[in-house]
Parts: sequence; structure tokens; C-alpha cells
Amino acid sequence: MSDTGSLLEVRDLVIRFSLRGRMLTAIRGASLSLAEGETLAIVGESGSGKSVLTKSFIGMLDQNGRIDSGSILFDGQDLAAFRGEEDWLPLRGKKIAMVFQDPMTSLNPLLTVGRQIREVIELHRGLSGRKAELATVEMLDKVGIVDPERRADQYPHEFSGGMRQRAVIAIAIACRPRILICDEPTTALDVTIQAQILGLIKALQRDFAFTTIYITHDLGVVANVADKVAVMYAGKIVETGTTEDIFYDARHPYTWALLSSLPQLGVKGSPLYSISGTPPSLFKEIKGDAFAPRNPHALKIDFEREPPMFTVSPTHRAATWLLDPRAPRVDPPEAIRAMREKYLGATI
Amino acid sequence: MNWDESLEPLLEIRDLGVDFRLKGGAVLHAVRGASFAIGKGETFGLVGESGSGKTTIGRAILRINEVSSGSVVFKGRKISGNIDASLDREVVQKIQMIFQDPMSSLNERAKVDYIVSEGLYNLRKGLGEAERSRLVQKVLLEVGLLPEFASRFPHEFSGGQRQRIGIARALIMEPELVVCDEPISALDVSIRAQVINLLSALQKEKGLTYLFIAHDLSVVRFITDRVAVINRGQIVELAETEELFARPLHGYTQALLSAIPIPDPRRERARVPLVYDSSTRDYSGAAPEWREVFPGHFVLADEAEEEAIRKKYI
Amino acid sequence: MKIPDMAASAAVADAGIDRALFEFADYDAGAGERGGYSNYSYWRSTFRMFLANKVALFFLALLGSLLLFTIVQPFLPGQLSPTKIFNDPETGMQYRNLPPGDRFWLGTNSIGQDLWSRIWSGTRTSLLIGLSVGLAEMLIGIVFGAIWGYVRRLDRVMTEIYNVMDNVPSTVLLMLFAYIMKPGFRTMVIAMCAVGWLGLARFVRNQIIIIRDREYNLASRCLGTPARRIVTRNILPYLVSVIMLQTALSIPGTIGWEVFLTYIGLGLPVSIPSLGNLVNEGRMIMMAPELRYQLIFPTVVLSLITISFYVLGNAFSDASDPRNHV
Repeated sequence: MSDTGSLLEVRDLVIRFSLRGRMLTAIRGASLSLAEGETLAIVGESGSGKSVLTKSFIGMLDQNGRIDSGSILFDGQDLAAFRGEEDWLPLRGKKIAMVFQDPMTSLNPLLTVGRQIREVIELHRGLSGRKAELATVEMLDKVGIVDPERRADQYPHEFSGGMRQRAVIAIAIACRPRILICDEPTTALDVTIQAQILGLIKALQRDFAFTTIYITHDLGVVANVADKVAVMYAGKIVETGTTEDIFYDARHPYTWALLSSLPQLGVKGSPLYSISGTPPSLFKEIKGDAFAPRNPHALKIDFEREPPMFTVSPTHRAATWLLDPRAPRVDPPEAIRAMREKYLGATI
Repeated sequence: MNWDESLEPLLEIRDLGVDFRLKGGAVLHAVRGASFAIGKGETFGLVGESGSGKTTIGRAILRINEVSSGSVVFKGRKISGNIDASLDREVVQKIQMIFQDPMSSLNERAKVDYIVSEGLYNLRKGLGEAERSRLVQKVLLEVGLLPEFASRFPHEFSGGQRQRIGIARALIMEPELVVCDEPISALDVSIRAQVINLLSALQKEKGLTYLFIAHDLSVVRFITDRVAVINRGQIVELAETEELFARPLHGYTQALLSAIPIPDPRRERARVPLVYDSSTRDYSGAAPEWREVFPGHFVLADEAEEEAIRKKYI
Repeated sequence: MKIPDMAASAAVADAGIDRALFEFADYDAGAGERGGYSNYSYWRSTFRMFLANKVALFFLALLGSLLLFTIVQPFLPGQLSPTKIFNDPETGMQYRNLPPGDRFWLGTNSIGQDLWSRIWSGTRTSLLIGLSVGLAEMLIGIVFGAIWGYVRRLDRVMTEIYNVMDNVPSTVLLMLFAYIMKPGFRTMVIAMCAVGWLGLARFVRNQIIIIRDREYNLASRCLGTPARRIVTRNILPYLVSVIMLQTALSIPGTIGWEVFLTYIGLGLPVSIPSLGNLVNEGRMIMMAPELRYQLIFPTVVLSLITISFYVLGNAFSDASDPRNHV
């Protein structure tokens, strides 16, 4: 545990990739902290850097990427300082495990599912033979696969999409990690299976006592599972807070845009709230706020200086000049206000 | 927008069946006995999960997939099966498609200029260069892209921009019916709203009719006038959108609706999804039929189920 | 949970910023569109990767100079005719089997012809055969493979044609051609084309089957694009790199076949020097150590050509694979 009492702490992380002769700054200084037992959701769209950030927690950055500065504090070590595979081996899969988006490509099609789980158990828990087999079947049962003995001898292509994802989760938690990172675990699944998988992870989190990080762009998933939310844009974390903070009291214009562009909040017949344009290229140095060109509430200073993290409450911070006392008062979009009103009405 | 049923529908599919032959001789019935009609100017939604056959129906309308039984009728004329060249040309011009994945639906080795005007090259043989170029510029502006993009290649654009290039490509043909096959599933959340708004605006401007194929019910609710729900190749329910959401009658529809995530933590955590298990239904007596249970609201059900519905709601 | 009042927030910023900066900026919707631009060019990346491959560049230079020299060599001063038999003016005897020396830079062969000019003439001929066959194979292979792969109705028929032709041993077919037609340059080219197009055709057909159902090709069909244009503009550009590889590898293969046919006596007549002829002549006398140079020189040239094409073909194929463009 680090001195601040959090399980994982990221400070001012900068990650760069060398791509076709040029430098791409995928993470431009991200900070967050994760407490034990929490569920954190990192929300962002493509190019925001959310996958790159979590891959750096287990040393799975592509060959051409590296951590330029900043630190990742976990369990008394700075993961950003790790240099080789030997540093990562005792950690990866054992203390921090990851579940990827597409279960079909996460499983080896040539090995039975049972074999793949057993491999992990033998490697990390030191069991072998009969004991390992029993542990494998137990694992399959815990993730809700019916008839686990028979299923353990089957190949991935004989499993349905939802079952494959369960198998992948089984492999990930087979050695009782302390942190489980789920990268878009339900995006490739049908909506009727999604709830089952999310419920499964929640139940496992209780039984096995681990901490979960979700990476997602789906706010429905966030609303379902998360305690804390971090919103990412163009390689930086632009807002963090509890789930209630983010959904009912969002402060950053990008978070407003994300929330209001949901069709559930739209009014039929009128256009959905949307932001025009696309995220900026991360090859170039970005001056000021990266979101400024697409921000209809942008101030002149957004183009000059990058906004620091302003504190809204002990749990809630946002990096936008709109929170500076000198800034004009801007109300969030109609749909968010409406949701907030309903929430306030329900609790008071 | 309400469709006036006394008018002839723009597109009708009648008892459509599409089969695929698999390796080893087995036959996959991707679509069975599907029927619905779309009126001019409306947005008709077709909702289902993966493998339900919704994309197959869309492609059968565009004549990409062969129809095994039943027919597709456009403006009163049959367009499925073998048709003569002039009708084929008419179909190409009047019915267009927007594809799901912007990363694989554009030719990477061709400039945007060629991609967008590809259809024009096919249809209008005598079109002069200046006129063609003008049309390309016009349509790029209509979808919110800059005309200077015409000389670039697809890989230089983001997913949302690429999808808009695909829309421009379909739009330049001046179609009457546009089949949108999951046009926003592969896009980021904030870009989806852009594209939805664009599609709505274009519909109003040009009087387009949409067949909107999707698995995301919240989008369907927002954009469509009427919806059909498809499960494993069969359409199980069809109604006006608000009616379907207010009174889902088929078990599968109910399960699907209960599974929609709600982006509101308090309500989302209280949500309980239903499970639909088709094997619990006993259809050994009579096969379920397509029945109009309420005006404009159809369900695939057998007699007993229809009775139960009537009892419940009356 | 109590929600804090919207207006209350603790600022962290420094006070030295001009207040005027806290006004709304003008909103330019177009500026956001330009943000997505990425400056990647496929051919530029391919070129860059290829140039970074030092081994490939070496062989490119080697092959290039070899090619250049074969073209230029006859026009250089002091060159001798490759077919003329040189006699010693004193004895009237032919200058047989002379080792490399002043007058005959690489020596002479067993009937008194200059080996240096024969090697270059032979390389010219063999390269010409290799390149023309390679080009013809490419054209036939692409056309056949494209039709085979794209037109579903013809798949059965064309697969049968392919199987029949594939099952006939190439050696038998080549020998048949050589017997029926007079041995000569044209015969060789036609015979080898008849045999060699199969590989590329099969390859093109398999690639087309993989690509033809991708969404962008379905889109082209919806737009009414005829099959011919879908193949040429949508599919073949993706196959350029692999077609180049196959062709590059087929050239040394063709030259090898030529050597083989000459070995069994069905190649070019002795009056037309080719690497095959030279290797064959050298092979016949290779047991005598002082005469081995007649085998070594043509073999070295043949090896260099083969290795160069092989390396360049692979290097280009790797460079043009977009997955390697990092």
C-alpha cells in the first residue's frame, strides 16, 4: 500500500509511441488513484488513451511505446520503472489480470478451455495433477458455466460468445489477482448477455475480494457497475468523481457532451446533442485544452493554457477553465439538468 | 411520421426466406417467413441480436443475397430473383445501403472523390467531369465534410468521417429508400449522435425512407416510427415504436427491452433483466402465426397466447 | 447524497492570468473536422521501409548494375563476339580452353569462344526469357485467377481446368513443347508460360475469395459497379505486393528451368548462348580442375541473379504489408 492508502496510484504518467518516424504522445500526463475494493470505470472514446493506460499497468505496451515520465505505484513498487519481462512476470496475471474485449481472440483455439485454465493454475498457484483439475472445474463452476466437467474438455469454438467471456474471466481470476482490468468486456456481446456478465463480475468481486477497473465507452455499463469514474480525452483524464458526481453533477463540457449525446436522453423529433469534429491528432504538441476546438463553451484561455484540475468536492475533480471563479457561469445541457432534477427529487 | 396505410407501400417483403448452404450440405435458414411493409417517408426499424437475420434481410433487399422463398416488392414491382436490366438499374439508383463498419466499407486504395462518385460512373454514362465534380462537392457538404476532402484517402479520416463518406456515397444516387445496416454500432458514443442527427436531417430534406437495422434499442426508439423485432430468422413482433415500448407482447421483445442499459446509476442498479427461453414454449399443437392483436400491432403467437394477451389488456 | 451547489468550486489556478481570456471564444465548427487528419501514405511508408532494409538495397544495387552491364557490355570498347571462334593465327588451331588472361578476360571454352562475352550474352538471353515469362505469367495468372475467384458460377469449371493442368508434370509438358516446336527462344518462352501461370492464378483466386465479400466490395455492387471494375479497382490494388513477390520469385525459377531443359538437351540451341548452355558446357568438363573456371563463372552469375531476385521480392513484399508500417 502506498502512503496515501490507495491500492494503485498513477501520477502524471506520460506515454509515447514511435510511429512511422514520428512521436505520438498517447498519454499526456494522467493521474488517478484506486482504493481497495473499489470499481473504477475509465470512460473514453477511441484515441482517448484508455486502453494504453491500462496496458501500461501490466507492461503490455506495444514494442514501440514507452513510459516517458510519471509513476505507477502499486504494492510498494513503481511499475513505470520496470525495465524487463522479469520484472513483470511475478505481477502480470498474478496480482493484476486483464480481460480483453473479444473473447474469441483471447482464447487459444487449439487448446481445450480446461487446459488453458489449468495452465494458469499450475503456473501461478503451484498446483498440479488432480488438484489442478479440480481447481479448474471449480473455477468454471464459479463463473457460471453449467456442466463444468464436460465443458472443461471442450474447445473455445464450442462455446457461445457469453460462455467464452466467462471462460476468459475464469482464466483471469484463477490466481486470485488483486486488480482485475476489464477492457470493454461486454461490447462484443449481445445486450441480453451483457447484464449476466456484469453481474458475474460483481459477484466474483465480492467472493474473491479484488478491485476492478473497467474500460468502456458505454455509459450504461458505467452506471451499472462503477463506484468511481474517470473520463479521458486525448490522453488526459479530464474529470474524476463518484458515479453520482459524474452522472448528476458533471462539470467538464466533454462529459456533458458524452452524456447528452445518448439517445436515451434525447427528445424524439429534435436533434440529439452532439459535438462536431473529431479528436485532435496526438502527433502534434497540443496548446491549451485539447477539447477546445470542439467545445461550444470554449473560453479564449482554453486555446492558450491547459486547465489544471479544479476541485469540486472531495470526491470530484474536473480540468476545465469553466470552474475557475473568473469564468462565466455556464449551465449544463437541458437533458443533464433534467436527470439531476429527477435524482434530487428522488432522494430529498 | 405516420404512414398512411391506404397508400401503396414503398417496400414490401412478403414471406421472405433466405437460406445459406453450409459446408457438408447442411442448410441454414437465416430468414424464415418474414413479412413487413414500409411506407414512403417513414423510418422503419428492424431490431435483433447477432445472428438474428436482420442484416440478411437488408442485403436481400439490395439483391446482395439471393432470396430462397417469398419476394421483395418495391413500388409494386417484384425486385427479388431474376429481373431485367432496366429494373436492375432502377433498383441500383433508388435503393441504397449504408454499411456498418466504416473501417472496411471504403476502398482504401481509392480517393474519396472516386469512392463517392462510383455510383455516378455506373449510372450516368454521359456525365461531364465538371458536373460530376460539382455533385461530389455538393454531397460532401451535405454530410458535413469539407470539399477539400475529395482528394484524400480514407485512412486519413476518423471513423465518424468515414461513415459520412459512406453516407455521401449512397446519397449522391438520389435514392428513395436507404437501408441503414447498423450504421452507428461501430462508432464512438459522441459520434453516433452526429450521424443520427445527419440521417434525420437528410430524411427531412430529401424525403428519404429508411430501413434502420440495429441491435441498440435506445437508438431505435429515438429514430424510428415503427419497429419489427426479429429473433433467429423470424419476425416476432411489429408495432409503432412507442406502442412497442409501452406494450411489448412477445416474450423475446420483453426480454430485449428489459436488457437495455440505462445511463442513470440509480435506475440502472434497480433494473432487473428478463430472460427469454424459447424452449419453454410448447408449440406442438399449432404453429404460431402472425396475428394482428391490436391495430397495427402484430405478434407471432399461437391461439392460446393471443387469448392471454387479450385478457391481459382488455 | 448531498450534491454541492453548482457555483461553489475551489480554484487552483494562478491569479496572474488576464481576465479578458475568460470570455467565450469564437466557435469554428470546421476546425474540429480538420483535427482527424492523419498524414499516412501507403506507398510512402512502403518506400521508407524498403529503403531502411540495407540488405535489400545492396542486392538492388547489385542486380541493377548487373542488368545495366548486360545491356551496356556489347558497346564497350574491346569486346569480342560471343559466337566467333578464335583461332591462333600462327598455328591455325582454335584457342581452346584457355585460362583467364589478357585477351580473353575469362578465358575461352572448349571450341575457342570468348567466355567473357558469352557469359554476358548468355545472361542477357536468360534474363530476357525470365522477364518475358514472368510478365506473361503475371498477366495470364491474374486474368485467369481473377475470373476464377470472382465469378462464382465459373468456379467449378475453372477449378477442374486448374486441376488437370496442375496434375500434368511440368517436365513432361515442357519436353513435349520442346519436341513439337523447334528449340529456340520463342519455344522456351511459350513452354514456360504454359506451365508457370498456375501458381499465380491459384494465389490470386484465393486472395479474391477472401476479399470479395468485404463490405466495400458489397458497397460497389450496390452501386452497380460491374465485376470487371470491382476486380481492377477494388481488389487487385490490394494484391500488388503479393503479385510482385510471386513474379520476382518466378524469374530465377524460370532461369532455373531453362538450365534444366538445356541439361536434358531440350533448351536453346548451342548457337544462342544462355546461362543454361554455359552451365551445361562447364558441367561437362568440370572434372578437370584447371578447366573448372568454365563452370564457376556462369554459376556465380546465375547464383547472384537468383539470390538478388529472391531477396528483393521478399523485401518488397514485407515493406508493402501495411501491418509492418509502424
